[in-house]
Amino acid sequence: MRIREILMKARAEGRDSLLYTESKELLELWGIPTAPCKVARNKEEALRAARSIGFPVVMKVFSPDVIHKTDAGGVFTDLRGEGDVISAFESIENNMEKVAPPIRMEGVVIEKMCSGVEVIVGVTRDPQFGHVILFGMGGTFVELFKDTSFRVIPIESPDAREMIEEVKGFPLLEEYRGKKGNIESLKDLLLKVSELTVKYPQIIEMDMNPVFSSPVGSTVADVRVLIERQ
Amino acid sequence: MRMEKGLAGLEAIFRPRSVAVIGASDNPGKLGFHVMKSLTQGGYPGKIFPVNPGKSEILGIKTFVSLFHIPEEVDLSVIVLPAEQVPKTIRECESRGVHAIILITAGFKEIEDKRGAELQREITDLANQSGIKIIGPNTFGVINLHLPLNASFTPEFSWAERGRVSLVSQSGGMSHLMAFLSMKCRLGFSKVIGLGNRCNVDFADMVEYLMEDPETDVIALYLEGIDHPRRLMEAAKRGRGKKPILAYKVGRSRTSDRASHFHTGSLAGKHEIYEGAFKQAGVLTVESSEELLDSSKALALCPLPKGRRVAVLSGQAGPGMAASDVCEEGGLSLSPFSAETQRRIEELLPPLAIRTNPVDMGPAWYDSDAIKGIVQSVLDDRNIDAILLFIMFASANKASVGILSDLLLERRRDKPILSCFSAPGGIWEEEIKRLEQSGIPNYPTPERAARALVNLVKFKKLKEKGNTRENP
Repeated sequence: MRIREILMKARAEGRDSLLYTESKELLELWGIPTAPCKVARNKEEALRAARSIGFPVVMKVFSPDVIHKTDAGGVFTDLRGEGDVISAFESIENNMEKVAPPIRMEGVVIEKMCSGVEVIVGVTRDPQFGHVILFGMGGTFVELFKDTSFRVIPIESPDAREMIEEVKGFPLLEEYRGKKGNIESLKDLLLKVSELTVKYPQIIEMDMNPVFSSPVGSTVADVRVLIERQ
Repeated sequence: MRMEKGLAGLEAIFRPRSVAVIGASDNPGKLGFHVMKSLTQGGYPGKIFPVNPGKSEILGIKTFVSLFHIPEEVDLSVIVLPAEQVPKTIRECESRGVHAIILITAGFKEIEDKRGAELQREITDLANQSGIKIIGPNTFGVINLHLPLNASFTPEFSWAERGRVSLVSQSGGMSHLMAFLSMKCRLGFSKVIGLGNRCNVDFADMVEYLMEDPETDVIALYLEGIDHPRRLMEAAKRGRGKKPILAYKVGRSRTSDRASHFHTGSLAGKHEIYEGAFKQAGVLTVESSEELLDSSKALALCPLPKGRRVAVLSGQAGPGMAASDVCEEGGLSLSPFSAETQRRIEELLPPLAIRTNPVDMGPAWYDSDAIKGIVQSVLDDRNIDAILLFIMFASANKASVGILSDLLLERRRDKPILSCFSAPGGIWEEEIKRLEQSGIPNYPTPERAARALVNLVKFKKLKEKGNTRENP
């Protein structure tokens, strides 16, 4: 299966993380909806990609060396027109030149701008518990409030439900000031992530942040996957 | 087959027909003396064989030079020897056919000296090869109040009341604390087990055993952190909803819980994983020693509520409000009474105080029959699943608890009733004792009574969910 190929390729190349595009492809292959995206090597490609995906879009640096894209100044959101795309591209190029040690910038990723309630889903491997799954509210205050819940993988359907209900921000998903998330699709996402790591235990960490949940469904907008190095 | 052997070994720990104390002593400065005292004073009905090459008699009991000199079978050995002598002694136990060992000796993996860890590995290997179940090392021992057996170095454990709660603890200190607290709050223990360094008997084995133990209704755990948490989860899951398992896990603070971090910014502390894992396995998490004991007591004594609708009836407004806070935070509902109950309460209480749930029975405090009438109608109310009942003593209401007692005793199986009857020493003590013996637990504060009820309701929910999980 294609997922195994992705994981083996990364390992063969001596990487302990998947490329951004690989991570997203992996999720899509496993049936987890992600924000559509395209890699662009230059401004022209970026413009073409943005037009084909449809505005507004997000632009993210595409580099095997950058792990925390936002911290490095490699993410620009809500680009509404071609002018925005060009200036974002230039800003990212500038910002990447300042990063030390120097990184390989292979281009940018143009991605559909999502909306909805921001949540996070993660996986980590604990020395005693093994694979553990996390659900939490996302957004600016995530690290301040640590509004999260954990379960040990594999989880069952009632566990997924409880994980979602347990966070303090749950009412935001039910409905708050005219906005709401989609609890069924989040449940489904948690169960799929759990199954994925059972099938591919060489995945030792996943960080889906943010995931946008809205009445039409829940979409992974950014993801990072770490794998075991041999 | 292996499983059967395991259970047989654990039977030898809790129900041995004979116990050898290896390292028995008549010197009060030695633990071997205190173990002997625990066994004899604790009323152990089986045979005791002290082993000490230098003595012919200890506490009036014939003493043997070695295990091999004992003419009869030995089910359980309690070892109180220096660490270096332990491996040899375990081999002797094996060749002598001893079924189980309580290894009180310290100085294994808990010490800084590397030799300790080596010794622990050595004895673990020995235990695994021989199949002998070893509790410890570095434990205070094991108590089974039903046999009775006090195989610990603290004779006073035998003062604890016999009951239906079994405590499995990773810490000797916390076990002592909880045993002494239990004596004050009249919680009855079935078994108290100090796991110590856990050589080949761990939490999972104990949960599995206690789940089947006819003398245990509630399993209380105190943990600091364990090597094989998934095994514990599996054992707990298998028993989900059958008997309540409560866990008090310390290590909430950042200092004691630095492990395991998500790259996104240390979102996962180990403690949160434990909490999640416990929920998943159907284990109730508690936050303090008091809560562990309080909730165990409620779970051991009370019938399970049908739902989460609680009536708070208080002789004074304040205690009722304090409990209501805890109830609502814990997911209980202070539901309205049925029309009939409401009418009855309004007949009995003048319109001077809150007559809806939570009820302030204050205006009737000198009128015990009115209080009794209110409690009775709430007991009858189909909209109410559980009752919290509080009366703070005042000279004028001295008769109230006595008058209520008969009613409460008669109706105690209908709904859980948890009380806080609080009075200066010497007052109401007999009544409270009688109520507690009949399944109406009393608590030092309304908040603690409310908290215990929250856990009672949680277990009820878990039991229901357990059933639906089995038949999805």
